[in-house]
This record gives sequence, structure tokens and C-alpha cells, in this order.
Amino acid sequence: MATYQEFIQQNEDRDGVRFSWNVWPSSRLEATRMVVPLSCLFTPMKERPDLPPVQYEPVLCSRPTCKAVLNPLCQVDYRAKLWACNFCFQRNQFPPAYAGISEGNQPAELMPQFSTIEYIVQRGPQTPLIFLYVVDICLEEEDLQALKESLQMSLSLLPPNALVGLITFGRMVQVHELSCEGISKSYVFRGTKDLSAKQIQEMLGLTKPAAPVQQGRPAQPQDRSVSSRFLQPVHKIDMNLTDLLGELQRDPWPVPQGKRPLRSTGIALSIAVGLLEGTLPNTGARVMLFTGGPPTQGPGMVVGDELKTPIRSWHDIEKDNAKHLKKATKYYEALASRSAVNGHCIDIYACALDQTGLLEMKCCSNLTGGHIVMGDSFNTSLFKQTFQRVFTKDYNGEFRMAFGGELEVKTSRELKISGAIGPCVSLNAKGPCVSETELGLGGTSQWKICGINQFTTLGMYFEVVNQHNAPVPQGGRGAIQFITQYQHSSTQKRIRVTTVARNWADAQSQIQHIEAAFDQEAAAVLMARLGVFRAESEEGPDVLRWLDRQLIRLCQKFGQFHKDDPNSFRLSESFSLYPQFMFHLRRSPFLQVFNNSPDESSYYRHHFVRQDLTQSLIMIQPILYSYSFYGPPEPVLLDSSSILPDRILLMDTFFQLVIYHGETIAQWRKAGYQEMAEYENFKQLLQAPLDDAQEILQTRFPMPRYVDTEHGGSQARFLLSKVNPSQTHNNLYAWGQETGAPILTDDVSLQVFMDHLKKLAVSSAS
Amino acid sequence: MAESYVKPGNQEKGWNDPPQFSYGLQTQAQGVQKRNFLNKRVPPPQLDGSQVSLPSGAPLPAKPLSPTLPLAPPPSTVVLPARRLSAVDSTALSASTHTECEASIEDVMGLLDWALTACRTTVKRQVCDEVGKRLTLFQEMWISGKLSSPVKKRMYYLAQELKKQNWDSADETHRSLIVDYVNEVSQWMVGVKRLIAETRNLPTEVLNAEGPSPKEDTTQNTQ
Repeated sequence: MATYQEFIQQNEDRDGVRFSWNVWPSSRLEATRMVVPLSCLFTPMKERPDLPPVQYEPVLCSRPTCKAVLNPLCQVDYRAKLWACNFCFQRNQFPPAYAGISEGNQPAELMPQFSTIEYIVQRGPQTPLIFLYVVDICLEEEDLQALKESLQMSLSLLPPNALVGLITFGRMVQVHELSCEGISKSYVFRGTKDLSAKQIQEMLGLTKPAAPVQQGRPAQPQDRSVSSRFLQPVHKIDMNLTDLLGELQRDPWPVPQGKRPLRSTGIALSIAVGLLEGTLPNTGARVMLFTGGPPTQGPGMVVGDELKTPIRSWHDIEKDNAKHLKKATKYYEALASRSAVNGHCIDIYACALDQTGLLEMKCCSNLTGGHIVMGDSFNTSLFKQTFQRVFTKDYNGEFRMAFGGELEVKTSRELKISGAIGPCVSLNAKGPCVSETELGLGGTSQWKICGINQFTTLGMYFEVVNQHNAPVPQGGRGAIQFITQYQHSSTQKRIRVTTVARNWADAQSQIQHIEAAFDQEAAAVLMARLGVFRAESEEGPDVLRWLDRQLIRLCQKFGQFHKDDPNSFRLSESFSLYPQFMFHLRRSPFLQVFNNSPDESSYYRHHFVRQDLTQSLIMIQPILYSYSFYGPPEPVLLDSSSILPDRILLMDTFFQLVIYHGETIAQWRKAGYQEMAEYENFKQLLQAPLDDAQEILQTRFPMPRYVDTEHGGSQARFLLSKVNPSQTHNNLYAWGQETGAPILTDDVSLQVFMDHLKKLAVSSAS
Repeated sequence: MAESYVKPGNQEKGWNDPPQFSYGLQTQAQGVQKRNFLNKRVPPPQLDGSQVSLPSGAPLPAKPLSPTLPLAPPPSTVVLPARRLSAVDSTALSASTHTECEASIEDVMGLLDWALTACRTTVKRQVCDEVGKRLTLFQEMWISGKLSSPVKKRMYYLAQELKKQNWDSADETHRSLIVDYVNEVSQWMVGVKRLIAETRNLPTEVLNAEGPSPKEDTTQNTQ
């Protein structure tokens, strides 16, 4: 429905929220019958160029178990200077600073257009950001040189007051002292022995000599100045660090024939986390790991150093033949948890032709909101430009990265929070809003997102707790408030508050309103996140069966049909795309690990559970546009029938941009028509998809791969594997006319999928 | 001043490596709100009641063989509907012009040395010496022909902006150079970066003292 589309889009633009249902079923029983849970995608730091932050502290509800922030849904008595909290109905006095408010003179936070508002708070000292580079030196010469140059370049991109540090590792781990004096010193650690944070700090000389311990006082965090030998402001140390980076050599330990280099990634990360932990907890920091191969030594090793033992594949894991997997994963999970507690995020930049252990190490980034970038070599445009984009600035010239995000969610009493799925950890905050049913990271109403930016998006899942046959709550609307505290890249502390409300409806009598307000795009992404979350602990086929079951139940509930008559099945417009999303999701690399390495699957899933709705949808069901002489570029079905000889196709899967030239186009290109003046239009036709792809290539993080291919080209497989195979070698001769290119596959096509779905949905036996 | 160009990626090292955009192009794109015009999908025909018509069992016509027939040329009419969706104008993306840099190394060093001399009044000696070392390296690379023309041109521009006290512009130029030409400039560019940072913090009287104008002979600049 056009009006609901607009409503949904406006809300996303203003509040960064997309709900699966925009009219809420008023009872718990009815809500569970909806199949898709009441849930939303929430982008805490949604870019709002039109929203200037206010320079005062938010006003809070005085009830200790509530503490909701004053918002446009609150009732206000301007004469008595009182406001009623819309969550707990407590009446609160306005603070003295609000003495002058009136109906005509409202503070911003009461105005409806400020359902999302940002506060700048002045609390405590402003601490500089920290960037700790952890660099693998077991790289090929060319790769190491390229990486060194990228790191040197990054010193010009860092915020000038930021602190920077350097740890290099190979067989040993070296922590470099950064000083402006001539001689560079470093502390060397064995790559095999794990040390506690305390031991690391002692060995680095970061603990002060025993000061008289004061009775009953907790230990203070170390004075920042003692760590300054290892972490220095960029503007002071840039020249020396540039030289130091320039002088880095390949790990001197020789690598015998048939062996891998000994790489002590686990210890290197442990030292990095420990260095920051003791001295600088709860200040914005990025540990940036650059690695060119798997950890082969010490705790956290993923594979041994014998090349004849390959790194684990999915097959090995299924057969329980991955001997380092459990131990390594546990090791990195412990590091990741510590880092998250400290508010520090860990990035992994992994560039190698073979796997580097992302499967085991992914929690470091997933729990802390750090990045994972996966490339073939540090000497590629993909790595270099993606890395540059870590430091991009927005329209205000401010860095896009932010730190120490803490999200708290409050709900009106008919709702509780079941959990969140995204790059966060639970803060285990119990309270009246917390549901006993857990979906994702549950059992809490607060989460921490150490590394956060304007695109970071969480999936939030709710439970309706109103009893069946209880009356629709007074006022008819339920409300949710998202309060996100974070450290802005300028080091200011900010609080962003988003308060949203939706109407309740009785599902018995008003089901058509609820249906019309269904957001199938959001629902698809939210269900997909649940599927990916399950896939981490359940078997692949079980996840697919669960997904299929939900889809069938949804069709049974909302489809219009005559029993046992599949041909009568219809879905209303607000559900019409949903089955197709599910079809593509089932075949996607997020749920199908076949044809991907464990590292690749981890990489794809990492990006999937943190992107906003539009990008997530692209990942589920790629976009396909067709370019021809016959009209302007147009979207076409993601189907083999769209592959035609005289068309150029542009496909965006998020991770790849594929430009595919149909057979005739390819022949013309080979014949060189684009060079001839009379065929200028052909030249333009060839250029058009490149230009459209360019905007995506210039801005997306991470930078996608770029495939320029044609009919019969080996790279065409990227397109052929994504399109719906409506024509295969099995049914080719059942079609009367050749339209499109047949795909050699045994995969089920969308048509067959839909036929089965309809049969199951209408069956009285289901 | 930064260039706008696109180079191909490193196909040897990374399969399907995407093209490399210059710093100028990237910063231009990132300031703007994401527009995402490639975002439409076509719903499948199955669910609106119209069945996909299953054809009768007529056999498929044999696929035409690779042409023994001559390939018909593409249409050559001039009138064209809008070709692309984006506003990107590819004609702007010509490779950087390869005209030689007009300025000489003396011009550039004159300006940089002016700034360094001004810094010596208040900035630590060691820092100034380090900057000086890197400027000397820059000079040597220029003279021995190791620097490409775009680098030379942009350095001249940077030096001029520095003299005019357009600090942000000089800083952006240094950034564009280190991003686009890192292998040429990485050894000495950090010295220029530091020079800009230190010079901008100098007290105004020092900055406004007599210094060479851009084309002056540097021999007049010694302390």
C-alpha cells in the first residue's frame, strides 16, 4: 500500500527503525500466531544531517526502575511544570532550567519531529581515541611492502590527537616503544606462552612500584602516562613511526620447505588486549589486526605448520575432524569478551589466498563491533581502499567511527524485550522490560556495541505480554524507547534517544489492518538474522527446515485460498515479495555453506548481521538491472530468463558487482564497434553500467569485488549461481521458446518452490 | 586540488580486484548522503493469480551455431534514451593530464624552507631537523627524476597553499598525495605533514614576517 510504504520509509529516515509489524497484535497469543515475531531493525546512529545535537543533559523519569527519557509521547502540564512518563505513568517535576516552557515554547525533546534527538553531555575528561596496530610480518615481500605503505598512509588519516601503537608478530611478538629519541626499542615475547593481563603489564613495565595500598579503596586504573611509551599521540610520533614502519622486515625465522611460517596471532592479540585493558579501560580504542595467514603457533592456533595438513574445511568440521577448532574458538572468545568489557573493538584485516582462521577469530570482531575485511593480498585495491574507508568522514568533516556504544531499551508494559542480534554483547541488565523468552542475545535490556558507526544496525526482538482477551491498552498505542550512549569520534560523549509508538489492534477483528501494516522487507531480514543466529549452533538442514516451516505457517495464516486447492492460493500485496526473499535466503551463502570455506561463510555472516535493511536485502536477494538499446536501464527479475544476448546486466550482491555482457554484446565488443565513431551509442551503452556501478564502488564498506564478464566467460558463474534457474538442463525441452540462458543445476527453481509452498499451505493435513 | 581518476585494480594479486579511485573522487563521494538508486526489484508473476503459462510440448528449436553468418552490427541511431541511472559523468574521469610541471624544485623548496625556517623560532630543534631531513630527501627525489609529474604539480600547489596560510587545503593536498602516490612519497611526506601542522600553530607575527614570494630566488632566504 502506497501510504504504508511512505509511512515506513519516513520512519526509517527519521528514527532508523523498521518494524516487521507496524500495527501490533494486542495479545500474546495472537502475536505468536503472526509467525514473524514483533521485531525491528534499529540503526542507533542513523545519519541525520538535519538533526543538530542539543547541548544539555536529557531529563529522566524519577522512578528508579524506569528512568525513561522525556519524549514527545509524554503528557505535559505546562502550568504545573509536570510531565507524566509514558512508560510508567510517574509524574515528574521539570528541572529548574525548564521553568520557561509553555505550549508555545516547547523544548526540542517534546516536539514530535524530534522523536529522535541527540544530546551532547559534558561528563568527565575527554579521552583521546586509540589505534593499536597489530601487524603480521610473516608476509611475502611485496605484500609486506604494500601493507607498510598503507599503514604509513593511515597516519595521515588518523585523528591528529589520537594515540597510536605498534605490535608486530611472527614467531615472536614485539611490542614497540615509540619515542622521539633515535634508538627504537621493543619488548619481545615468546609466541607460545599465554600471559595474564597483569603479567603483560608487569613485563612491559606498566605497573608502578608498590604504592601503599589504602584500606578499602579499589585499585585505581593505572595512570595513563605509564603506557605512553607504547601509545603516543599521532601528531608527535608520526615521523618516527613512519620510519619504524618503513624499516619493518619480514620475520627473520626461516620457513623450511613444506612448512607454514610460525605465526603467533593468539599471543599478539592477547598482549594488545592486555596492554589496553590495564591502562585505558573504557575509552574508545581499536585493535587493528593485519594478518596474512593462519595462526600456527601458541594458544589460538588454527592449523599446524605442516603444509600437508590443510586448514579445516566444512567437511572436516562436519566429520569432527578439526582438532584445533574448539580450543582456538574458546581462546578468541575469551579475548573478545575481555575487550568488549573494556569497550575496545578489534578489527581483523585478513589478506591471503588461503584461509586465515576467520572462523575461530570472528568473535573478536562480532562481539566488539570491529570490522572484518577479507582480501587476497595487501597489494590489492580492495584492501587498500577498504582500509582507507575506515577513516572516512561525513558531510560535517567528522569521522564516521564511534566507540563505546551502550544501548538500553525501554518498553511500555504490554511489551518485553526478547533479545538482540548484531555486533554487540549483553550487559546482563535485568529489569521489568526483560522477557523470559530469548531470541538472539536475550535476558537483558542493555547491550554494548564497542565499535559503532552510522550504518550499524541491530535486530531487536520483542514479546507481547498482554493476556488474551485483556482489553486493548488505554490510549491504543505501545511505545519503545532506545537510549544509546556513545563516544563520538571528536571524543565527546553523546546520548541518542529514539522513542517510537505503534497502534495496538485486536487480531480477531482487525486482522486486515495488521496485515496491511506488515513490512515484508524488514520481516525478511529479521527472520534471516534469526536463521543466521541459529546456524551458529544448529545443523544447516535444521535451520532450513525451521525457515521453511515458518514460511508455510505464514502462508497458511495470511494466504487466501480454498482448502486443498493450490491454484486458489493468493497473498496480498504486503506479503507478495516475502516468499521470494525466503527462496533466495535459503540459497544464500548465509545459510548454504556448500561452495564456501568456513572463513568465507564467517565473513559473509559477519557483514550480514550488522548492515541496515537496504544492504541486508541486497545480500539476501541481489539486485539485477538490465541495460539495452531499447530504453533506460530497468530492474529485471533475478531469473535466468533475464539473461539475453543483447542485454548488459548489472548485478549487485553486496560483496560483488557483476557486469555481464550478453552474447551479442560480447561479440560486438570483441569486434571493436565501440571504437568506431558511427557506433558511439554502443560505446555509451558499454559505459553506462560501469558508471552506475561506480557510485557503489566509491562508497561501500567493504569494497566489493568487481567482475566484468560475458556470455561463456568463466566468471559468469557469479551471475548464473544467483539467478533463479527457471530454465535448467532438466526442463529446457519443456519450454516452447528459448528465452534466457539455461542454468546447469539441480537446484529447485522459484516456480517449483512456490508450487510446493502453495501445496503445503493449502493442505488440510499440515 | 586533487585529481579525479580511476585506475584498474591489481588483477595479478586479487581476482576481480575492484578499480582504484583517486582520493579526490572518494572524498567527493563520501560527503554526500547515500542515494542508492539501484534498489528496485521486480515481483515474480506467480502470486498475483496469473499463472506462468506452461508452453505446450513443442521441441526447442536448435540453438543457432556460432556465426558462420556475419555478425550484424549494433544499431547506430543517434537518438538515445537516458543511458544511465547515476549522475556520474564519465567524461570527467580522464586520466590526469600529463603536462609537465611548470614549477622548478627551487620554487617549491623556497616555500617549504620558508615555513621550516619560521618553525625553527619556536619548534624543538630535533623536530625541525627531522622535517628538514625529509625535505632534503624530497628534493633529491625530484632532482633525480624519481617523482612523477602529478606529484610535483601537487607539491607545488601544496607549498603555495602553505605560504598563503590555507592550512586545511595544504593538509588535504598532502593527504591526497599520500593516498594516491604512497610508493613515491611515503618516505618523506610525513615531514611535509608535520611541517604543515607545526607552521599553522606558529604565532601570527612570525608567519607574517617577510618571506619569499612564490617565485623568488631561494638564495635570499638563508638565515
